[in-house]
Amino acid sequence: MSFINYFAETAATPEGSGDLFSALGIDWRLLILQIIAFLILVFLLGKFVYPWLMKQVDERQAGIEAAAQAASKAQELAAESEEKTSALLADARKEADDILSNAKLEASTLLTASEEKARTTAEKIAEEAQAEIQKSIEAAKRDLHNETLELVALATEKVIGKKLDKKADAELIAQSLKEVR
Amino acid sequence: MAKLSRRSLSLYVANGLNDPATQKTVLLQLAAYLVDTRRTKELPLIVRDIELYLAEAGSVAGMVTSAFDLTAETKKAIEQYVKQHTGAKEVLLDHSIEPSVLGGIKINTPGHELDATVRRNLTILKTQYKKV
Repeated sequence: MSFINYFAETAATPEGSGDLFSALGIDWRLLILQIIAFLILVFLLGKFVYPWLMKQVDERQAGIEAAAQAASKAQELAAESEEKTSALLADARKEADDILSNAKLEASTLLTASEEKARTTAEKIAEEAQAEIQKSIEAAKRDLHNETLELVALATEKVIGKKLDKKADAELIAQSLKEVR
Repeated sequence: MAKLSRRSLSLYVANGLNDPATQKTVLLQLAAYLVDTRRTKELPLIVRDIELYLAEAGSVAGMVTSAFDLTAETKKAIEQYVKQHTGAKEVLLDHSIEPSVLGGIKINTPGHELDATVRRNLTILKTQYKKV
């Protein structure tokens, strides 16, 4: 409160205006020097530091933008790559499905063909066996027939050899001559 | 000496045999010729040819084979059969007994054979009706 009063009293006193800075503890010469130094500093900063800083900032910004663009592009590429990968995976899956389907179809066809071949072979074997059996039966019948003939001839020979006499033979000869005339 | 053909030789002998007066002479000549020319192996063929020529001339010589001796009646029937089938005026038959024929008769004349034996019939039974 006392500080405010003192400041008000000083301001109300006309001759006291030159001493305002003194009253405030400010040395105006020092102030000018400080202002000059500040201006020089501002000039130097504006001349040498700010352009470099701005350049650095611009470069940094350009780098960040490039990085952002690269990241965006990389993201796009990644997305594109992911799409391509998805498409490739889809194609590969489809191809795999096709291959599997074809393999199943071929296996089924092969199985059917094998079954058909096996059935045909079995039928052929059965037919051959039947034909062989039939042939054997025919051969057995033929052998039996021929052996029967042999036995009949042998039996006839034995019977005739014992039963045929001169008289019967004469009759047989007469009959034969009669037949051939 | 030139070699005579079998046919001309047979014809010569057959002509000689037709004449009873020259039969013995011709046969001796044939025998001598075959011995001299070392052709005795041809005798069966020559005899067959002579029989053929004799048959053409009306004189048939044949062989009869049976299992038993033949009766006069049977021999006569056989001669008639041969005359009928060959047209021969004269038939000369030799008889041979072979029990292996079992029964019946077999007549061999030049160029002709009648086999009516039981053996033959049995052979036919065994072969003709045999299934191959």
